[in-house]
Amino acid sequence: MKQYIIRRLLQIIPTLIGISIIIFAISSLVPGDYITAVNNPTMTAEKAAQLREIYGLDKPPVERYLTWVGNMIKGNLGDSLVHKQPVTTVMNNYVWNSFFVAIFSLIFSWIIATFAGVFSAKFQYSLFDKIVTLLIFLCMSLPSFFIGLLLIKFFALDLGWFPVGGMKTSGLNGSTWDQLIDIAWHMFLPVMVLTMLSTGSLTRYFRTSMLEVIRQDYIRTARAKGLKERTVIFKHALRNAMLPAITLIGFELPSLFGGAIILEKIFIWPGVGQVYLESINMRDYPFMLGFTVFISVLTLVGNLLSDVLYGAADPRIRLK
Amino acid sequence: MKKRMSLLLAIMLMAILVLAACGGGQTAEQPNQGDTQTEQTPPAEGEGKETEPPAEGQDESQGYFEAEDPSANPANALARKDTLIVGMTAPKGVFNPFYWQTAYDRYVVDAIFDSFFSLNGDGTYNNRLAESVEVSEDKLKYTFKLKQGVTYSNGEPVTVKDYAFAMKVLHDKSYDGQSDILSVNVKGGKEYYDGKTDEISGIKVIDDHTVEIEVTEANAMTKDNLGTVFFVPESYYGKDYKHGNLEYMKDLHSKPIGSGQYVLKSYSPGQEVVLEANPNYFLGAPKIKNVIYKTTTDETKLAMFQSGEIDMDMVSVSEDNVEAVKLMGFLDYNMFPYNGYGYVALNHKDPKFQDQKVRQALLYGLNRAEIVEIIYGPYANVINIPQSSESWAYTNEGIEPYEFDMEKAKQLLDEAGWVPGADGIREKDGKKFEIHFSATADNPVIDALIPIMTKNYQDLGIKLTAETLDFNAIMDKKDKGEFEMFFAAWGLTPDPDSTVYITDGQQNDLGYSNPEYDAAMKKGLNAFDLEERKAAYAEAYRILNQDVPDLPIYQRRDMWAINSRLKGIDITPYKNFAIDLYKAEIEQ
Repeated sequence: MKQYIIRRLLQIIPTLIGISIIIFAISSLVPGDYITAVNNPTMTAEKAAQLREIYGLDKPPVERYLTWVGNMIKGNLGDSLVHKQPVTTVMNNYVWNSFFVAIFSLIFSWIIATFAGVFSAKFQYSLFDKIVTLLIFLCMSLPSFFIGLLLIKFFALDLGWFPVGGMKTSGLNGSTWDQLIDIAWHMFLPVMVLTMLSTGSLTRYFRTSMLEVIRQDYIRTARAKGLKERTVIFKHALRNAMLPAITLIGFELPSLFGGAIILEKIFIWPGVGQVYLESINMRDYPFMLGFTVFISVLTLVGNLLSDVLYGAADPRIRLK
Repeated sequence: MKKRMSLLLAIMLMAILVLAACGGGQTAEQPNQGDTQTEQTPPAEGEGKETEPPAEGQDESQGYFEAEDPSANPANALARKDTLIVGMTAPKGVFNPFYWQTAYDRYVVDAIFDSFFSLNGDGTYNNRLAESVEVSEDKLKYTFKLKQGVTYSNGEPVTVKDYAFAMKVLHDKSYDGQSDILSVNVKGGKEYYDGKTDEISGIKVIDDHTVEIEVTEANAMTKDNLGTVFFVPESYYGKDYKHGNLEYMKDLHSKPIGSGQYVLKSYSPGQEVVLEANPNYFLGAPKIKNVIYKTTTDETKLAMFQSGEIDMDMVSVSEDNVEAVKLMGFLDYNMFPYNGYGYVALNHKDPKFQDQKVRQALLYGLNRAEIVEIIYGPYANVINIPQSSESWAYTNEGIEPYEFDMEKAKQLLDEAGWVPGADGIREKDGKKFEIHFSATADNPVIDALIPIMTKNYQDLGIKLTAETLDFNAIMDKKDKGEFEMFFAAWGLTPDPDSTVYITDGQQNDLGYSNPEYDAAMKKGLNAFDLEERKAAYAEAYRILNQDVPDLPIYQRRDMWAINSRLKGIDITPYKNFAIDLYKAEIEQ
């Protein structure tokens, strides 16, 4: 096991080198750089040349790549051109806001999906199953900006229960507790929308895998030996039905930190998704590349994690 | 089963329709994204001279409009007695007068820092920190006297040594901000930039309150360029300064200390900037104690007005948005011409665009009024010279308005030798008249422009094909000169000096060249008398108007919606609200 993990970790290194080459190549093939993106109408050619020299944009791509990778190995991702701050500082400023929304939505969607999936499988083709299916497809197929604006209209403007956007009430000077409550209050709508969007596919996933398990012989055996239905479903069936879901947990890892661009824009949530999008528009390569590498690492680690967890949970799988 | 599925589908469709119907009201709040992509540029640092704003007629599309029903003010807003919340796109946290880049960071900088001069509403300057300014006979020596007794918010006195320090920072080789001080030609500045000397010889600190600056070359903008350098405490910003290394400066971006109206209290990236009044401000303590810049987006800013979460914000101008603001009743709004213009660029390296008659024909043959009407309704106007109607350099004397006139356009093309071929497309020397238009994606201007242009030019006998590209890709093609036509917008500076149409000018993407125009612009830049400058620029604009280097399309409006309980918020096309924020107050 230990050997397996070490081997997998070592395998990550060439993959990362490949990824870094590809994303760097794409970024240098894309037309325009930060200076053209700023598009300052009063900038002279000399000034533009000076800035390009300071940012190293005047050097050939291979040299730029080597400098970038060299600095990255030393733990220096460079400075964001837009924020004029180290990339790591900028990420630290925004990533956690995205993380909190994502983690709560993850928890809620998993809880809801588990129950909805189990019961729709148990009562397949019942009215409950149909209503759940309908609702799920509805939530999944509506675009997030639409649900978002709709919820803002109902809950924030018409009913006044929740704020329109932002992460905290401006000018509020309460105790830490009050501020936490305030943030939770602001977080409600974004978390709700994100949960609505992600619950759908999860429920379908759980339902299918539950349906498969529930028909197996050992479930019939469990019932036959007189176990309570609840024990049969939640102890015997669910455990096995959840096995494939472990793989999903690993994939969730990057999305926890990746931010949700559209949602952040609608709820004015200060997450990293918008900053990332802007870095692409503004050709802020240090941030764009740095963040892409960060997400790639999380994806690779997430993959490894799900493999390891799967091996631990399912004795039929042997990791070598 | 099949039947069931279709039933299910039908129910879902109905549910969606119902939901969509509920969402219908929301469309009014979907603001026009406008040409934001092409206008990312922050308002450039102001440089201007005395002016009289042109008289405004009874125009529905510009002016200050009072709220119709202030009593409709939301309780949330009324409850804030000493706090002003300004909505805006998130500042980037670069609250440093040398490094700011977006207009929003600039709003913070303007509230926290001061310079010798500050901007007036009409684009001219008056003294702020300066007691007086003397200019030598040959315009090469500028003596600034600083007001007595001004202190920074950390209690230290403001002296002209800080000014000298600021000049060193701007002249440093490692300085990567947007200011271009080298173009001001301060004596010894280039040597300092190259690292040959450790002092800038042209800057002489005479005593704590007097500084003399010598330049090698002066023009109409020199005095204002020198007077708008911000004062920062050297003891704080210069503590770790070594010639050629400004690396330490980035740690200070989010911890500014200045002498200005407000002090930064806290900054939460992407959320808000909290400012607190500086009680010792030398022009008098600001009347509003707390000011918060809160992040908003186009999608929800109107909703935030309604719920009282913000007091003022810039709302993109469209008929729907103006209507929504009016309907709320408690909002004043200030609408003024945006300081810039939209145009269609032509590549002058392309032989077919080198003929003046062809360019004139392209302008006569394009129904610009219709295009502008579709995009902005009444809130934009067709322009014929590349200058804002608010500028002192603006003129309409002897300017041809190029009203839509198909016959004239056809006649001009005939005269230029382009005659209709068998398929109705005009030809000259065996070449068909085809234009390739590089269009930006997701731009409402493009969406309105292309269909009309295609139709109009087809009637003229010209084939227009449009290709959709990312904005940066078009800018890249522009730099390489590989384009025929594209749409973009320019932001204007308060001063009319510009390199957009000058032969080999830095911003001359068109490859346009006209020695007469160059001469007129040079005359305008080197004259020190305003009337002389006006005449020179009027001449320059008349030349452009006749020569049609590009197709000028429109000047649109900008709008600030302001809660009616706020008084004294001073905003013009040239001046942002933060400059004189200390005068504003909240009506109790």
